Amino acid sequence: MEGTTTIDASAQRNAPAADANPADEWFERFANGLDEPDFLVARRRAAWARCAQLPMPTRKTEEWRYTDVSQFTPESFEPVSPKSEMVAFEDLPQAVRDVIEHSHERAGIFVQRNGAAIHMRLDADVEARGVVLAPISDVAKERPELLEKYLYGDDVTEMEEKFWTLHAAMLTGGYLLHVPENTRIEHPVHAFRYVDCPGSLVSTHTLIVAEPGSEITCIDEYISPDLEETTTSLAGVEIVGEAGADVHYVSLQRYGKGIQHFSIQHVTADRDTRINGFNVTLGGDLTRSDVSSRLTGPGAEGIMLALWFGDRDQHIDHHTLQEHAAPHAHSDLLYKGALTDSARSVFRGLIRVMPGAQLTDAYQTNRNLLLSEDASATALPNLEIEADDVRCSHGATIGQVEERQMFYLMSRGVTRQQAERLLVLGFFDEVLAKLTLEGVRTRVRAAIARKLGV
Amino acid sequence: MPENETVTDIGLDEYKYHFITEDKPVFKAQPGLSEEIVRQISAHKDEPEWMLEFRLKALKTFYAKPMPDWGGDLATLEETLDEIYFYLKPQDHMERSWDDVPEEIKDTFERLGIPEAERKMLAGVGAQFESEMVYHSLKEQWEELGVIFESIEDGLRLYPELFKEYFSTIVPIGDNKFSALNSAVWSGGSFVYIPKGVTVDIPLQAYFRVNAERMGQFERTLIIVDEGSQAHYIEGCTAPVYTTESFHSGVIEIIVKKDERFRYTTIQNWSHNMYNLVTQRAMVHEGAKMEWLDGNLGSKLTMKYPSCYLVGEGAHGSILSIAYATDGQHQDTGGKVVHAAPHTTSQITSKSISRGSGRSSYRGLCKVYEGAVGSRSNVECDALLLNETSRTDTYPYIEIDENMSSIGHEATVSKIGEEQLFYLMSRGLSEEEAMAMVVRGFIEPIAKELPLEYAIELNRLIELEMEGSVG
Repeated sequence: MEGTTTIDASAQRNAPAADANPADEWFERFANGLDEPDFLVARRRAAWARCAQLPMPTRKTEEWRYTDVSQFTPESFEPVSPKSEMVAFEDLPQAVRDVIEHSHERAGIFVQRNGAAIHMRLDADVEARGVVLAPISDVAKERPELLEKYLYGDDVTEMEEKFWTLHAAMLTGGYLLHVPENTRIEHPVHAFRYVDCPGSLVSTHTLIVAEPGSEITCIDEYISPDLEETTTSLAGVEIVGEAGADVHYVSLQRYGKGIQHFSIQHVTADRDTRINGFNVTLGGDLTRSDVSSRLTGPGAEGIMLALWFGDRDQHIDHHTLQEHAAPHAHSDLLYKGALTDSARSVFRGLIRVMPGAQLTDAYQTNRNLLLSEDASATALPNLEIEADDVRCSHGATIGQVEERQMFYLMSRGVTRQQAERLLVLGFFDEVLAKLTLEGVRTRVRAAIARKLGV
Repeated sequence: MPENETVTDIGLDEYKYHFITEDKPVFKAQPGLSEEIVRQISAHKDEPEWMLEFRLKALKTFYAKPMPDWGGDLATLEETLDEIYFYLKPQDHMERSWDDVPEEIKDTFERLGIPEAERKMLAGVGAQFESEMVYHSLKEQWEELGVIFESIEDGLRLYPELFKEYFSTIVPIGDNKFSALNSAVWSGGSFVYIPKGVTVDIPLQAYFRVNAERMGQFERTLIIVDEGSQAHYIEGCTAPVYTTESFHSGVIEIIVKKDERFRYTTIQNWSHNMYNLVTQRAMVHEGAKMEWLDGNLGSKLTMKYPSCYLVGEGAHGSILSIAYATDGQHQDTGGKVVHAAPHTTSQITSKSISRGSGRSSYRGLCKVYEGAVGSRSNVECDALLLNETSRTDTYPYIEIDENMSSIGHEATVSKIGEEQLFYLMSRGLSEEEAMAMVVRGFIEPIAKELPLEYAIELNRLIELEMEGSVG
């Protein structure tokens, strides 16, 4: 194995149980080896304790009805504290270098390999304006107050999601992007998660804090080669938009085979804040994405976009929440997916309008294309409305590409598969067009086109 | 006047049929549920051995299944199950003509406002008064056509083979906890058979009521419609208001054979202390059409999702659902369609109105199995909210395993349009009248589907609720 990280998940996996709770023992070993400030270790322990309390979801758990995680046992992984060692650009994995060399301009780059930060740069002028881009482990030592204030916005002991607690307990890497008040950063910050340690569990965190009136675009790109052994990626994302901030966030998941990816994103938009979140899912064997957007101040706007293309026997499960906790807020969700081979997808979206959130404007649309006999899709667009002066609507469709359009393209000499894939790209364009930064849009479209083979 | 006060004042939820008829049950089981009670019911009905075994098996299933943890709040129901009477029988034998019906029961119908002329229009009336059919008549011409419209007990007694062939084939015992309960203690309901090629113009109507405090009502209806027939079955109910919990859990099974067209209309205006948990399901064969028309105005909590299993090529299922929830009410309703054959089509239209602290939820399933090529389904849900304390939810499940199909779901939530009110009021209508008019317009697509013969009863229930807003 090349590189500098030292996660070795398999070494002690089968270590005999010394007492009734071998998992607790290795968790303590892991936590003690991290060299973190006390408050962070305390949160980790609290998350671990909470994780032990929460039952592993089964298919009888409503939220996990369509995704089977019964084979997943957190105790079978022993994370080892990552040892970060920075490397030069030339020593980055080829797949990462390819992306950096061939596309848009960036304000900053952050590269992690198997949960350890290995490369980072931030434009000097951006840094001079007070923007912080740093590994969470460094922030814990240098600016602990930022983590104390923002990391895991909710009380760790009251977390409801098993995977969120597991993520918080097992956190091995990640970064903080902090943009000071009224600072507008033109070019995106581009973060890479590169995973090439088969059988490991990598738990990383993205924490974006946009202070009042600031503006930032951030991309998380997930890359791996095909891996022989099932590898788990736990990605936690928190985006905090303070009054009047404008945040664009893109998650581009193009892992290879063998990875199960659990992505949990918590977005909070304060007064007059605009947050645009875009999730693209192309790779991995199983993807479970939970995105919750809470609009906590009047005038907040949450735009939620997603695209996925599943082939082989990929399983792609999206859960979303648009929570309107304040009046005069606007949310708009557009999730589109296409499936071929025996791929399966699930979309469960909820618009929740809390009492008093009058003049809410909330929309939710899910559209699915089934391209093969064995593909299947499930859509559960839900509404819970507890205020009366609202405009809410949702729609979901499941269908196939139009034969007439296929016929037209094929009559121009395009093969059936090519015609189908071109129509899928066209189907996706409605969402891609909502990415305002052209460089980012081109990057995402290129990644999709590559997966589609067009 | 602030708008929401106006709504509070319009009395949409005032219960119009608050009266109690003194009851004289002939046989009244002990409250609570036990194997003993189930044996008593079966023995009292003089049932064949297989039915007793069926009931006892269902009782075991009921005990084994957990309470649903979704939908409405069933916590208080669980506590009161021990206090519910699981069986009452008001009279020993079936009445054959209107004159024989006891005065006090006639009086109940009188107060519901069914005029004499209307009764004659009604082709067959099965009035379920306290758990059992007390009145049953069928026009002679239908008997000649071979139409069977009996109480479920007589169905079992008179047509044992036909009964056994279809009973519980559509809703198995273990379908859900309450279908199991119904299977154990069922009593009353209708047995209908429409022979091949018969068109029944005038709706078959079962009119029943629950009329004893803490009395459970577990009606069971089995309807078999043979090839090429056409019919319409109507069931409606109102119940007096009591202060303690009440419970209704019916099972309706319908077999719709080839090229047949059948409509089942049900409207419920149970008193606001009633738990109404009903399983309604139709198996729809080749080329046949099944329509559910479901109106839910009353009860404390209703959980009811009429379903169509489209098992024959070209079968069509349609569900029209209207729900009205006011203070303390939760209408958890919707529909299910399962496409299990090619070229099947379905349409679900749901309209709900929530006012005060009322909550209406749409819960639905659209499932397309692999192989159901060319299937199409469309679901539309509209919710209207009248107060800021009202609540509405939409929980559709769309599961598609067939790519050669086309499925759509749409839902909108809105309050009464200020512009509509302004327009109407500028034409001289009061705010209350304008509001009532908008509400009537909202439910119009469903109200207009109601048959004229039934309008006297059904439209009255809807119109009074809505027009009450004027007063």
